[in-house]
Amino acid sequence: MPRILDVGCGPKKYPGAIGIDIHPATQADVLCDWSRGLPFRDSQFDEVRLIHVIEEVNDIFKTLAEVHRVAKPGARVVIVTPHYTDHASYCSPAHRWHLSSFSFWFFSGQPREYDYYAPAQFRERRVGVRLLQLWRVLGFEFLVNRSRRFRRFWEQYLSFLVRGKAITFELEVIK
Amino acid sequence: MPRILDVGCGPEKYPGSIAVDMNPTTAADVICHLDRGGLPFRDNSFDQVRAIHLIEHVADVIGTMEEFHRVTRPGGSILLVTPHYTDFSSFRDPTHRWHLNSYSFIYFYSGGMHGRDMWYTRTRLRERRLTVRLLNLWRALGFEFLVNHAGWFRRFWEQYLSFVIRGKVMEFEFEVVK
Repeated sequence: MPRILDVGCGPKKYPGAIGIDIHPATQADVLCDWSRGLPFRDSQFDEVRLIHVIEEVNDIFKTLAEVHRVAKPGARVVIVTPHYTDHASYCSPAHRWHLSSFSFWFFSGQPREYDYYAPAQFRERRVGVRLLQLWRVLGFEFLVNRSRRFRRFWEQYLSFLVRGKAITFELEVIK
Repeated sequence: MPRILDVGCGPEKYPGSIAVDMNPTTAADVICHLDRGGLPFRDNSFDQVRAIHLIEHVADVIGTMEEFHRVTRPGGSILLVTPHYTDFSSFRDPTHRWHLNSYSFIYFYSGGMHGRDMWYTRTRLRERRLTVRLLNLWRALGFEFLVNHAGWFRRFWEQYLSFVIRGKVMEFEFEVVK
């Protein structure tokens, strides 16, 4: 059975996962302030999930470095976060970061000069963007997810009108 | 020869400048972390401070601007380049803490806050030059020219148009007033 870690699991933990959260009113199996580091040994997990968590952390780089450390080589990391054009990105004063569908290029296949900032390496396996219902019905969501070129055009020219909702990143841990 | 400080110089520093960066693998002459204790230079030591794609990363914009003001001589200049908040590059880098617009620095202008000086800082700057770049399509259609050549149009653009006619990068040159 794959070992799954649900970081910042909240009240609905991912089935079968080990949940970790700072707050006791959650389904967490491990209670701790994980922003100081994850209380697990290196290379323990086949999958690490951060669902609506990364936009709230103090330091995205440190968090992903910890995720990288506890994940096995080749493990899957799933990150879900609001798109910066979604109102949900601004609904919570705990949201420190407003991110786009290209925000994690930094960690995968970037120029070597960034290694200093982001030594933990991932491969981007999939990026999925959800749009507001109206735009989904009109086919924009299909196009955005179908072609990376269209996604870039959408991010640059359209996304404040044809607004995004949540982004799902699937990364593979490279060790 | 003018004394120029390049803050957050990255792999290529501005020719002839003294360069500062937190990252030792850059072209920096001095390694220091701006967010932890400021710049290791005396007051009024530079004619120009350049911060290219830096200000959107710092922990404290106001403290950093005060520090730039301190090390620049009276009448010297501060050059900033930073993304406009409607550009996608503002949201592409997970170390960007601040999303700014072309009025973000009126905080430091004399009379900048509704005719009054901002009472939370004593640092005063004068805007010498401000250029806003727009996406290619909008530049080709003449919007960039209008934004940069008519103050009223820039305000109208920021208020009404900028989520459609999106900005790219802004270049500010400030004169240090002491």
